Amino acid sequence: MESKIKFTTFDQGLIIKISGELDSMKTMLYREKIHREMVRIGPRMLLFDFKDLQFIDSSGIGLILGRFNEVDKIGGLVGITGLNNYSRKIFQITGILQIIGEYQSAAQFKKEARINL
Amino acid sequence: MINKMELKFSASLSNEILARQAVIAFISPLDPSLEEINEIKTIIAEGVSNAIIHGYELDASKDVFLKAVIDKDELELTIVDYGKGIVNLEEARMPHYTTRPDLERAGMGLTIMETLSDSFAIKTLPGMGCKLVIKKKLAKETISYGTTC
Repeated sequence: MESKIKFTTFDQGLIIKISGELDSMKTMLYREKIHREMVRIGPRMLLFDFKDLQFIDSSGIGLILGRFNEVDKIGGLVGITGLNNYSRKIFQITGILQIIGEYQSAAQFKKEARINL
Repeated sequence: MINKMELKFSASLSNEILARQAVIAFISPLDPSLEEINEIKTIIAEGVSNAIIHGYELDASKDVFLKAVIDKDELELTIVDYGKGIVNLEEARMPHYTTRPDLERAGMGLTIMETLSDSFAIKTLPGMGCKLVIKKKLAKETISYGTTC
């Protein structure tokens, strides 16, 4: 599967969908793209959609934590959705799910986001 | 019988995928499960990116060495760099510790490798480099190669 990144906006939120393999190389490339998009939009709500993610390592975890810190600093909400069994295992090892919430769907995240606004 | 392979490549992150795919192709005759493939890919990604980013500080003129050996149902991976080594191994092994917060490294690479492997050893000397030896059992019995019927 092709590795790619796609951005969708809603209200004050941004959904980042990353497909394929998120390794060190892709992480560096995507960090730039995400940075540009976040500067442009200034989201208070940020959701990572990993439905079509096939591979992640600690560099990808670093990328997510970095964005969490940015949004958390301004009192925003960050979530993750679409984890498959393997991605969830990596997330659990790193303990990231203890600080970033996992959501059933983008709809569920948006609902929560509205309450938090 | 023992089956083995060795790979030497430039310390560029673009070669991380080569390292992952080579080992996956190497073990594919053993019919590994999707979970085993994913775990091995992650172990290699962590080990190789550590060598490139921390060992060689992204200097692509340097070489990373990767060896894989299959002995019965066990895969042994050796990843070697002759870069700067780890000054404080105890610190490096602590979850969330990283020397490169500037690169947003999560400091979880060693923890992930250790969790996903059956045995995990690091040998390192500051200024000399780093050698990782990782062992991982594959659930299925190996097919024997080259034996006569």
